[in-house]
Amino acid sequence: MPLALPKLASIKWARPAFLRPDFWRRLAQRTIMLRTVTFRLALVQIGLFAVFSLALLGFVYYATVVQTQAEADASVDQEFTELEKVYDKDGMNALNQEVFERASSAGPQLYILANKEGEIVAGDFGAFPQLPTGASQRVPFEYKTLGPDGKTEVNRARGRIGRVGNGPILLVARDMANSSVLVGRVTRAVYFGAGLGFILSLISGYFASRQAARRAEALSRTAQDVMRGDLTRRAPVVGANDEFDTLAQDLNAMLDRIERLMRSARTAGDAIAHDLRTPLTRLRSRLEAAIESTPNEEADREALRRALEETDSLLATFTAVLRLARVQSAAGWQFQRVDLSAIARDLVEFYEPVAEDGGVSLASDIEDGLFAPGEASLLTQALSNLIENAIKYTPAPGRVHVSAKRGERIVLSVADTGPGVPPEERERVIDRFVRLETARSTPGAGLGLSLVAAVAEVHRADLKLEDGLGGAAGPGLRVTLTLPVLAAKG
Amino acid sequence: MRVLLVEDESELANNLRRALSEDGHAVDIAGDGESGESLARGGGYDVIVLDRMLPKRNGVHVVENLREAGVSTPVLFLSALGEEDHRIEGLNAGSNDYLVKPVSTRELLARVRALWNGRDREAPATRLSVGDMEMDLLARTITRGGKKIDLQPREFRLLEYLMRHAGEVVTRTMLLEKVWDYHFDPQTNVIDVHISRLRAKIDKEFSKPMLHTVRGSGYRLDA
Repeated sequence: MPLALPKLASIKWARPAFLRPDFWRRLAQRTIMLRTVTFRLALVQIGLFAVFSLALLGFVYYATVVQTQAEADASVDQEFTELEKVYDKDGMNALNQEVFERASSAGPQLYILANKEGEIVAGDFGAFPQLPTGASQRVPFEYKTLGPDGKTEVNRARGRIGRVGNGPILLVARDMANSSVLVGRVTRAVYFGAGLGFILSLISGYFASRQAARRAEALSRTAQDVMRGDLTRRAPVVGANDEFDTLAQDLNAMLDRIERLMRSARTAGDAIAHDLRTPLTRLRSRLEAAIESTPNEEADREALRRALEETDSLLATFTAVLRLARVQSAAGWQFQRVDLSAIARDLVEFYEPVAEDGGVSLASDIEDGLFAPGEASLLTQALSNLIENAIKYTPAPGRVHVSAKRGERIVLSVADTGPGVPPEERERVIDRFVRLETARSTPGAGLGLSLVAAVAEVHRADLKLEDGLGGAAGPGLRVTLTLPVLAAKG
Repeated sequence: MRVLLVEDESELANNLRRALSEDGHAVDIAGDGESGESLARGGGYDVIVLDRMLPKRNGVHVVENLREAGVSTPVLFLSALGEEDHRIEGLNAGSNDYLVKPVSTRELLARVRALWNGRDREAPATRLSVGDMEMDLLARTITRGGKKIDLQPREFRLLEYLMRHAGEVVTRTMLLEKVWDYHFDPQTNVIDVHISRLRAKIDKEFSKPMLHTVRGSGYRLDA
């Protein structure tokens, strides 16, 4: 039998703050600065500053300590040589006299002179810091003095010791106390400066990174709000014209597009419901009536035939809706070099007989060699929709004119002598599914221009509706598609 | 002829089988991609009608496998995916024709027949002749009963297609796709107008009309 363990969850005890789950989350949020890129950049900045400070310190150290030592050594060497000359010229007594005089004068110079046997005869100390071995040599040494307060002070000095002309032993040295003070001051100043700089760069790094982090947070908050469903939210643009502003502007442009797509998807949903539900209802009631009426072969067959027709037209609408959705989703279109001249010419040739049959003359003015980057099947369908619409809405006798020209961009236009579209309706007519009331009687017309608009958008082309050729039926309509020209092949 | 129908939706499969049988074909049905492929590998079929989205094995893969295995039976795709890229993908896989669901039975029957007959006839020919009509593909001239007929280039291609499929029903969609290479449905009766123009040129001055309208289906050129 398994042991009955007490349920851990049932034990009640006061949990310390750090054991509560949200404590760490909050702490993490508070230390978010440590995770931001900008803060890392600030750290790099501080690191670089430290390296530069160190280099500067090194230079100052070299410039003061090493340089003062070298200067001391040079002046000691020079004096040693001078005294050697005194000995060479005038002998031991003159040297003794000279050292005595020099030692008694004030200054950092220090001397010891001993005779050939090593007995000290003149100078500042009673003993040599070390004895010369052979030729003269450099000696850094320390010596002790009694300070004014009675304490022993250790002094550093640098000198040269050696025998002068195989005779007496001479030490010439410089007390380094003054230069030590200078070096100490400079070193302290550099340390202090480095410390101050470090703190300042910490502070400035903190503020810079906090500023950047705040703006990044603002962008992130916008994105989160949008994800929660508030599509009207936009990222703040500070006006600093920097990367954050660019990012915010791009984000806003993206949100604008998403909002537009969402809105058009919503109206499209309503339109689909209308465009499909109405004929479906009609179909259903027709079939219902056929079933419930007394059997009559001829009438039944007629009902079936009409049901089939209705189904076909429903399927056509459905296909058009699917195609429109696919074009608008845009992904997956591989643009190629499309010969617009050939497409336009073939379509004019294709539609010319049907136009003529309807009492409409289809004329064209198409330049050669108009190449645009695009998807040929979409552009073909768009232009075909425009030509077909023009033929359909132009009453006989009428004219439809197709033109394709190249200026800075490629301009495709289809103009007719039909009733036209009033300026205030032009925007709406391009919107998905919107159909002018007067055009309601013509089936399937609603999707034609929407598809053209979608194809234009995919190709970054401008779509413009204007008055057309004019005629008895009204001002006519001119639809113009302006497409980018394909860059000349390198 | 023998037709293999690979379709997982049983009601549609049975309807198509009935239609194909009534049209004089022997039909076998496979309900998924795997069994369809193994039946097709067994050979002996003249045409394969293949659904694209099938259980067990995608129709595109079935065609690719068959072509790789050297099975050259003509394949007609029957698919709910009807965009340009879908169509191109299906044809690139090695199929010979592509129809988008839902499809009218007449359209399917016409396509199946065209596929089977087309096997020999798409072969490069320099001359075509149907009844007393002769087409010289090199000189691009047409004569009927020895009398020269002048046609526009597109009319020439339209007549060429009809002649290659003489005796068969050719639908409007087939003409749109094969002669004009357009893959959308025109809202106008534009194909009918082209046909009637062609008819005016090839039939008008002759006692026996060759180009017939098949009601509800399309057209047929008879000798």
